[in-house]
Amino acid sequence: MKDAQNKPEWLTDEVREHLRRVAYDFHVRAFGEEMARVNFLPLAERRRYVAEMMDHALRKGVKFDKPALGVTP
Amino acid sequence: MPLAYAELENFYEGLVARARSRGIPCAITSGMACVAFGVAQATKDCDLLCAPDLAGEFLKLLQESSLGGQGPHYRGHLTAPLDSRWLRGGWTSHFMWKVPDLEAYLDVFGVAPRGSVPWESDVAGFYAGLHTVAEMKRTNRERDWPFTTALGVKLLEAGDPRGWLHLFNFEVLVQTAEKLRCPETMVTLRPALALLTGPDERLELALKGEVEFWNRLDQLRLKVYERAVRPYLLAVKADVRSRNPSLEVQHEVRLEHAESVLPTSPLCQYGIERLIAEAKDQAARFLPAGALEWLPDARGCFSFLAE
Repeated sequence: MKDAQNKPEWLTDEVREHLRRVAYDFHVRAFGEEMARVNFLPLAERRRYVAEMMDHALRKGVKFDKPALGVTP
Repeated sequence: MPLAYAELENFYEGLVARARSRGIPCAITSGMACVAFGVAQATKDCDLLCAPDLAGEFLKLLQESSLGGQGPHYRGHLTAPLDSRWLRGGWTSHFMWKVPDLEAYLDVFGVAPRGSVPWESDVAGFYAGLHTVAEMKRTNRERDWPFTTALGVKLLEAGDPRGWLHLFNFEVLVQTAEKLRCPETMVTLRPALALLTGPDERLELALKGEVEFWNRLDQLRLKVYERAVRPYLLAVKADVRSRNPSLEVQHEVRLEHAESVLPTSPLCQYGIERLIAEAKDQAARFLPAGALEWLPDARGCFSFLAE
């Protein structure tokens, strides 16, 4: 990823704001309002949310296992 | 008290840190990377990219890595040995730690599926870079495609024009193009982007064509490996030593059988051009005429597989 010093000319504040709006609208459509909210949280809060969600699901017996096929999609 | 998910994350990140301290390039990818990048996904498996040439060193590290007081073991009979020859050929090695109330899974890749750049050059902290993760998400699973698009936008937000290569949602592409011009270099890599220059009804069709093509390509790819693994599966399953609790013994058994019956690079043996042609043929059966006219050259997505 580029740091602030290497920011390309085309990435103006206006473009960034536009991309953020496009992304948020897409997250709402693709993942639902709650996950869109989570995805836009700061990293530590997002990880905490996902950890709580996973722990709750595992306690309720949800299986997340993928078959071990020797190759992965 | 079962292990919490946060502890698992710390465990896998610790594994990456220890591997790197021993000079083993590696990076977490797929679902856990998506969480870190802001496209949260429910997953408790860790997919890990590891430099194939250092597979032996990584295996040693795994042997020393306990979780909840338990050591790891190979998961299932289908898993290829963690050995550079098979990792370079696109196989995955599966491991698990069985701790009370939880099984922790680790899948190790040497080559990122569909990766068009060396993943070692595209790393962000503990994780594989956005571009690599997005390419890996072009799978045969419908649920992965929104992740690809979301990661594409993240790349653009980070100032990386390769984000254009991952926008597969029509609305997102059109909305992005309202404020941003797609560079010619990206159009060369992904011809469908040429349809963004004006209102062109063919864009939506081209996107459907691309997704169906990648979907078929992944299905065919998996079938090649599934066919190649059968004799190995039978040999490992029939060998009582493969159930030995020692990872070292499990590895020796798998290596022994792999050397006699498991081809190292079945996809290259099958032929990449042939695979791509078959994916196009299959996709064409389910799409309107013209949908496949804008496909990218997918050969570059297999260039890191060993012959």
